[in-house]
Amino acid sequence: MNDRTRDFSNGRIVFENVSKFYGEILGVNRLNLSIPPGITSLVGPNGSGKTTLMNLMTGLVRPTRGQIRVLGYRTDEPEALFNILGYCTQFDAFPKGLTGYQFVYSYLRLGGRDAETAAQLAWQAIERVSLVDAAHRNIAGYSKGMRQRIRLAQALAHDPRVLVLDEPLNGLDPLARAEMIALFRRSAEQGCYVMISSHILHEVDVISDQVVLLSNGYVVAEGQIQSVRGEIREHPAQILIRCNRPRELAAKTMECEQTMEVCIHHDERGLLVKTRDADGLYLMLNQVALNGIEIESVAPADDDVNSVYEYLIGNDEVAR
Amino acid sequence: MNRSTIKLWWAQIKSVIRLEMKKTFFAKRGLWVYVLALLPFLLFIGHAIATSHQRDRRAQLALRNQKQLTSQDLQAIKSGMTSEEVIALLGKPPIRFHWNEQRPLEAGGSVNVARERYHYSDGTNDLFLELEDGKIERVDFSEGSNLGEDAIMFAGVFQFFYIRLAVFFGCLGIFMNLFRGEVLDRSLHFYFLAPIRREVLMVGKFLAGLLATCVIFVTSELLQIVAFTWHFSPNARDLYLYHHHGLAHAATYLGVTALACLGYGAFFLAAGMLFRNPILPAATILIWEAVNPFLPPLLKQISVIYYLKSLCPVSVPTPPGTPPLFALLVSNPDPVSGAVAVVGVVTVALLALSASGLQVRRMEINYTTE
Repeated sequence: MNDRTRDFSNGRIVFENVSKFYGEILGVNRLNLSIPPGITSLVGPNGSGKTTLMNLMTGLVRPTRGQIRVLGYRTDEPEALFNILGYCTQFDAFPKGLTGYQFVYSYLRLGGRDAETAAQLAWQAIERVSLVDAAHRNIAGYSKGMRQRIRLAQALAHDPRVLVLDEPLNGLDPLARAEMIALFRRSAEQGCYVMISSHILHEVDVISDQVVLLSNGYVVAEGQIQSVRGEIREHPAQILIRCNRPRELAAKTMECEQTMEVCIHHDERGLLVKTRDADGLYLMLNQVALNGIEIESVAPADDDVNSVYEYLIGNDEVAR
Repeated sequence: MNRSTIKLWWAQIKSVIRLEMKKTFFAKRGLWVYVLALLPFLLFIGHAIATSHQRDRRAQLALRNQKQLTSQDLQAIKSGMTSEEVIALLGKPPIRFHWNEQRPLEAGGSVNVARERYHYSDGTNDLFLELEDGKIERVDFSEGSNLGEDAIMFAGVFQFFYIRLAVFFGCLGIFMNLFRGEVLDRSLHFYFLAPIRREVLMVGKFLAGLLATCVIFVTSELLQIVAFTWHFSPNARDLYLYHHHGLAHAATYLGVTALACLGYGAFFLAAGMLFRNPILPAATILIWEAVNPFLPPLLKQISVIYYLKSLCPVSVPTPPGTPPLFALLVSNPDPVSGAVAVVGVVTVALLALSASGLQVRRMEINYTTE
């Protein structure tokens, strides 16, 4: 590790006013991000700048302006950076003629590890992605899902503190997806920084500690999904309440000035309230509960990534 | 920089070389490099077979002579001598053709002319005589192959085909693809995502290319030397190799080939990083090397061929009547000493590698623009 390039006080991934232009085409513009440990999801439609952001962070492209530090490391010094970072790219090409095992093993040897350690780490990584049986087959004969898994194995092999995963669940079957999500979750719980880009918003929603919403090269919002939702004032919060007397409760909620709309559920066991003051509604519900209405559950209906994304970026661009 | 850093870099360089070797040696698109390297070897094999066949034929012919002839005997025959004088000196010809020719006269009518053709051999050289009415009209003395002449032919092939074309284009094919080929295959990110200094990666790739080109071209050169000396008698071969600097020349040819790989390899590695289209830099370097004799002294030194020409052990004579421009290309008017030439090639290579080192730091992965 090079102390000259390392800022020990900084335990975050930091983008400072970073812009990237490909000629006249905008990649990303004026990014200011400070990413803490845990799972951070990059969400945005095609061309929004997710991959550019990841490539900038890993030094595969250089910023036109601004600077990036990954836990204090500069991105133009791969010899230091990739000791703590693993990147699973979307590039579906491999060095010719390698087997899955050789691919991971060679990567570790390039890092300077001796043959024995490299072999041990390579097998561990291949086991983690459940590809042991196919490890000695040429990658050229792998299915899309297998290629994705071997790329993940390469990114994970040296046990990095920062994992950058560009659409890591692409091509994986449901079982493999669940395994991988569990793997990312475990890494995050161990204090790792896991950055994931994905189009599959409901999966991102389940696993993310925080999100970065991107559109046309700009960061539209960042942070924990609930707090991002809370800051979207122009869209009222939608709260689903299950109770025994929904009509009575609907009348009560309409008395609040901030309530915009109330819909009673067709099974007459609940209602959906749209309000500009969610906290006020929750207080009111406490009082109502004391007055005899049985409240079974109260749940926000639109603080998921999909809703937030729809509010911020618009219907047309919402990824499925 | 401490010892452990150097140890780490060396381990990384070895890993890069291991990965690159298979790709470089067995790439389908690199097959033409082998063809290019083997062409002169095939040429010398062909020459050796033809020469051996000719020598056998001469030996057979010499056996049919009435007396044992020497080269001096054959060269004693001059135009205007009679057939009797020839037979007195050389004996009856082992091969003789004779025929009559009707020759028209100016005054009308024709005259009958007796024509003959004699063929003698001393086992090494041929003598062809054409006689008209018993007098020699034409003498054709054909020398058999000798190591001195073949050595000049070898030097010509080495300087004007092997180094300037075969090694040049072979290095182009191998070194330009070290980075460029992986950009086109979209697999360069594999290296760029590893914890390895970009300059160390560049050195590893360069050494892999150098190893491959040296193995291919130095081996071919060795085979050429074997093919070139193979068809001579053991005595002639020993004389050439051990008493006429043949071994030293062979070693120099091998060394010059390796230096050519080093110099052109460094040039093409840099060119492969700086340019997308290899044709443009290849043509530029080819022209630059070709016009080297016409460049001012300072610019001459930024070239590989300038130094290699000085290292070549046998200079190729300019045939009489050669146009002056071509003569200048062939000649080496201001040669430098061997040590300066070696240092010169290494310096030029290091300069090109420094440019590659700067460029590799700046390289980005942006396959979509390729």
